[in-house]
Amino acid sequence: MEQSELAQPSPPVREDRETATIRFAGDSGDGMQITGDQFTVTSALVGNDINTFPDYPAEIRAPAGTLPGVSGFQLSFSHHDIHTPGDKVNVLVAMNPAALKVNLEDVEQGGILIINTDSFSENDLKKAAYANNPLESGELAGYRVVKIGLTTLTLNAVQEVGIPKKQATRCKNMFALGVVFWLYGRPLEHTAVWIENKFGHLPEVAKANRLALQAGYNLANTMELFTDYYRVKPATLPPGVYRQITGNQALALGCVAASVQAKRPLLYSSYPITPASDILHELAKHQNFGVRTFQAEDEIAAICATVGASFGGILAATGTSGPGLLLKGEGISLAVMAELPLVVIDVQRAGPSTGMPTKTEQADLLAAIHGRHGECPLVVLAPQTPGDCFSIGIEAFRIALKYMTPVIILSDGYLANGAEPWLLPEIDELPDLEPTFHQDPEGFSPYLRDPETLARLWAIPGTPGLEHRLGGIEKDSATGNVSYDPINHQKMVDTRNDKIQGIAKELALLEVNGPQQGDLLVVGWGGTYGAITSAVESLQAEGKSIASVHLRYLYPFQKNLGAVLKNYKKVLVSELNLGQLCQMLRAEFLVDAIPFNKVQGKPFLISELRDRMLQLL
Amino acid sequence: MIAHLQSSETQKLSKADFVSNQNVRWCPGCGDYSILANVQKVMPELGVPREKIVFISGIGCSSRFPYYMNTYGFHTIHGRAPAVASGLKIARPDLSIWVVTGDGDGLSIGGNHLIHILRRNTDVNILLLNNRIYGLTKGQYSPTSERGKKTKSTPYGSIIPPMEPLRMALGAGTTFVARMLDIDPQGLQKALKEAHAHKGTSFIEIFQNCNIFNDGAFGHISERALREEHILTLEHGKPLIFGKNKDKGIRLNHFVPEVVSLGNGITESDLVVHDVTNSVIAEMLCQLDYPNFPVPMGVFYQVQRDTYEDSLAALVENQVTQKGPGDLRQLLYSGQVWEIGATQVGQGIEEDKFSLEEIDIFPEVPREHRKLMEEPISALNPPLALIVSAEDSVAHAIELMQEKNYGSVHVFEDDELIGIFTEDDIVNKIIGFELELKSLPVSQMMTPTPLCIELKDTIAFAFNQMVIAGNHHLPVIEDGRPTRVTSARDLLNYIGNHFKM
Repeated sequence: MEQSELAQPSPPVREDRETATIRFAGDSGDGMQITGDQFTVTSALVGNDINTFPDYPAEIRAPAGTLPGVSGFQLSFSHHDIHTPGDKVNVLVAMNPAALKVNLEDVEQGGILIINTDSFSENDLKKAAYANNPLESGELAGYRVVKIGLTTLTLNAVQEVGIPKKQATRCKNMFALGVVFWLYGRPLEHTAVWIENKFGHLPEVAKANRLALQAGYNLANTMELFTDYYRVKPATLPPGVYRQITGNQALALGCVAASVQAKRPLLYSSYPITPASDILHELAKHQNFGVRTFQAEDEIAAICATVGASFGGILAATGTSGPGLLLKGEGISLAVMAELPLVVIDVQRAGPSTGMPTKTEQADLLAAIHGRHGECPLVVLAPQTPGDCFSIGIEAFRIALKYMTPVIILSDGYLANGAEPWLLPEIDELPDLEPTFHQDPEGFSPYLRDPETLARLWAIPGTPGLEHRLGGIEKDSATGNVSYDPINHQKMVDTRNDKIQGIAKELALLEVNGPQQGDLLVVGWGGTYGAITSAVESLQAEGKSIASVHLRYLYPFQKNLGAVLKNYKKVLVSELNLGQLCQMLRAEFLVDAIPFNKVQGKPFLISELRDRMLQLL
Repeated sequence: MIAHLQSSETQKLSKADFVSNQNVRWCPGCGDYSILANVQKVMPELGVPREKIVFISGIGCSSRFPYYMNTYGFHTIHGRAPAVASGLKIARPDLSIWVVTGDGDGLSIGGNHLIHILRRNTDVNILLLNNRIYGLTKGQYSPTSERGKKTKSTPYGSIIPPMEPLRMALGAGTTFVARMLDIDPQGLQKALKEAHAHKGTSFIEIFQNCNIFNDGAFGHISERALREEHILTLEHGKPLIFGKNKDKGIRLNHFVPEVVSLGNGITESDLVVHDVTNSVIAEMLCQLDYPNFPVPMGVFYQVQRDTYEDSLAALVENQVTQKGPGDLRQLLYSGQVWEIGATQVGQGIEEDKFSLEEIDIFPEVPREHRKLMEEPISALNPPLALIVSAEDSVAHAIELMQEKNYGSVHVFEDDELIGIFTEDDIVNKIIGFELELKSLPVSQMMTPTPLCIELKDTIAFAFNQMVIAGNHHLPVIEDGRPTRVTSARDLLNYIGNHFKM
């Protein structure tokens, strides 16, 4: 072919986008989590900043095609630093009518709907409670609808492999992924390698998945399905080595790191509960670090085993969600009374009772701080991003070991399953956590304390001459024997409280994001960091007098919090509950804090936070 | 795990060494005193340093036990002693752990924990002091109170039959199951030693008299005059014989136990011979109860099975052997990791001010060299691309590239650029298809829909696009058409030549 034969080709010039938000939605058996995961990893590897949020139903396999059975995976990837998985969806992949119905309200006007028309039979529509076919009724007029017979095309694409129809149909998620890969100009290689690794032992399945992926990509390429195609350039993150990580993974790795830094083995003892179970799964993989995982018979046994392990002198943690936190209350109070170090992770979910197990909420704050009988103080921390879960895990053990106290970490469903690129820490910069065990029998009593931290001495079984008895019954401050003496009880209650309050002395001061004083201060804690920060920064860019603080230490507070609150005309406390932190701030600092609350099982949208902040500016 | 601490107690210990300085506060006459004394008596004979012994209890009269033992101890919360002990044993397999519980603590509020520690076979010795009543809360019926029992909470009699702790233990898979009586020192001491020697969970139910709320609950077997008639003492390998004159025994009649008198043609060989490894016999023994049968005392059942902590340690050891001892850096840096170099824009630069001038691409390099990256691709004078059509064979494309010494060809279909076929594609995709190169269309092997750049784009942007595309060749658009091509090698040559000058 000669050069001169070339006539006016139209190259695919891609339109640049700063940020894109895609949601894959289908039946929980449609492989939407895998599809989202693959798109995420590829986006991370081409250098985008990413943020993801899987949304899966509580019913593992609700009836196919029904509204409760819809499973979704949303991700945002960006040319710049992003904090949330996106407010509005640009592209929705809907594998059936139910997925369309559940997710449509989140799609931007003019957004792209990629729809599997093979799942729009009368029966499918009925299961999704559609009276009329939305593809024909005109109700999708405001969107760019791309109709693809995903099932049929997938079956055609993988026909040559000759696998059973049921297996072949399952490849349709890869077909859909191929289409979206093309839309954003993503390479297929990473997913191709993943397919090899995952299905290498089933060469036919591997081939079918690969073919489906390629066919989806080719279809989008050749059929001109889309009028525009996009490019999201690599983000500009601080230099360093990154990996994709979820909050649950990061907490698990934080526990392992704490164990390494303390040079003590770790017991992670837990009863399976959504959305905390992944921590147990992750830690179970790392037994070569000396990690012992113990799937206890119930939540109570899980906390009690950590109490026993801590008594024995190793690091111990337990993980749960709200219902389990309450069951653990008595065990935690034993650890407070016996002054033993351990970490309790509460991955909060929507309550009360069973509530909405897979949905996020921040309503366990007061339960964590106060939810035990008696005066029972302990430390409560909250990570603010998935990557921060790692640091909080280490910090929790640092405080627990130094002060001989249980520490509760309040993660949430959003952090637990959300993922973001995590700038990997330098191992050399992690703190040394190696504990000192008391050895000297001279003048020993189990409630002797470090005068500065008020931490009780840690004397572990096996140490000659230090035989002693701990227990839930109040003990004499001097001898450690059982004591019902009224003055002694007052002294012990005061001491336990002073010990915890005293931790504030050593905590770094709270940092303000924005001007040191001004019209509005927004206060948040936990997993709302991304949304609040994005909203505040966007208003700062518009010249508004607004700042934010995000609390990682919820009990005790950092010591400058009260002063910071007083530097602004108004204080807005945004949290996914009915105002629990707000109540604490009002009580503690006599500040007229205004609550902004949401309890829908969903994270804040940046836009709704902005709107509320604007009302106060 | 724990460094082996040298015991300070090399001298022989006595019972007194295990008595704590605390006053014992059980009611005078309580069966717990006898049990405590016998435990204290046995401890020095176990050969375990005192500091390696831990007593753990829950809540109840019997759970005060640890305070009276001069060992390590933990008086925990109601029903949870087995769970605390489980955690301690995982942490410290080197310790000798004893759980003391009662019929309310162990079988009611803590039933779940008891079942599961027995099932796991954690090497812990469990003493369940069964007095068939709630003592500490002052007299309500317990899980082992007999049907019809009148207590404070059942003034007209309990309406449920008692549970049988030993059958529960057998059902849970316990590897050492025994029963003892509080006032039988010899029997108790023997059982305690056997429980200690047993590797795995040992479960001893100890009938214990509560002289305040349930006095005489075991009178039918504890009164001296009645003991020998009403107690069947179990011995492994011996026939089941009882009675003051050793003249009665247990025989199976169609699998149903019956009491028979020896003589009149009935001999020892007709009796059941106790075998502690036989679970059928153990189960049968559980059913023998006063008044129709003598009450069996001793070891009902004992077998060996891997302990939980040994299996767990083996699992950890196995993982260490397979993967090597954990390396934290390796763990954190595992999975799909990517590096963002110092060449990227720092966080402090705002998006709208983004321009190449602010990119610190070569921080150590003089400004004139840095400017090189900002020169347009047109400065390289990129060559016209080679063209093939989609249906041309791979072999044809390769020949063309060889002939013209190009690293890539553009693939066109219907006058549209649909892909680029490059050295990378040859290297990465050709293996396995060597025989089909002449028949395989190039469109099957090309990189489809390549990213394109324009002549006015900078060298830096071209590098950036190559990274995104994962390809060393990019089509270059001139007058709206992708007629030219540039490659990483062209860019590097250009930069290299600049430095030569």
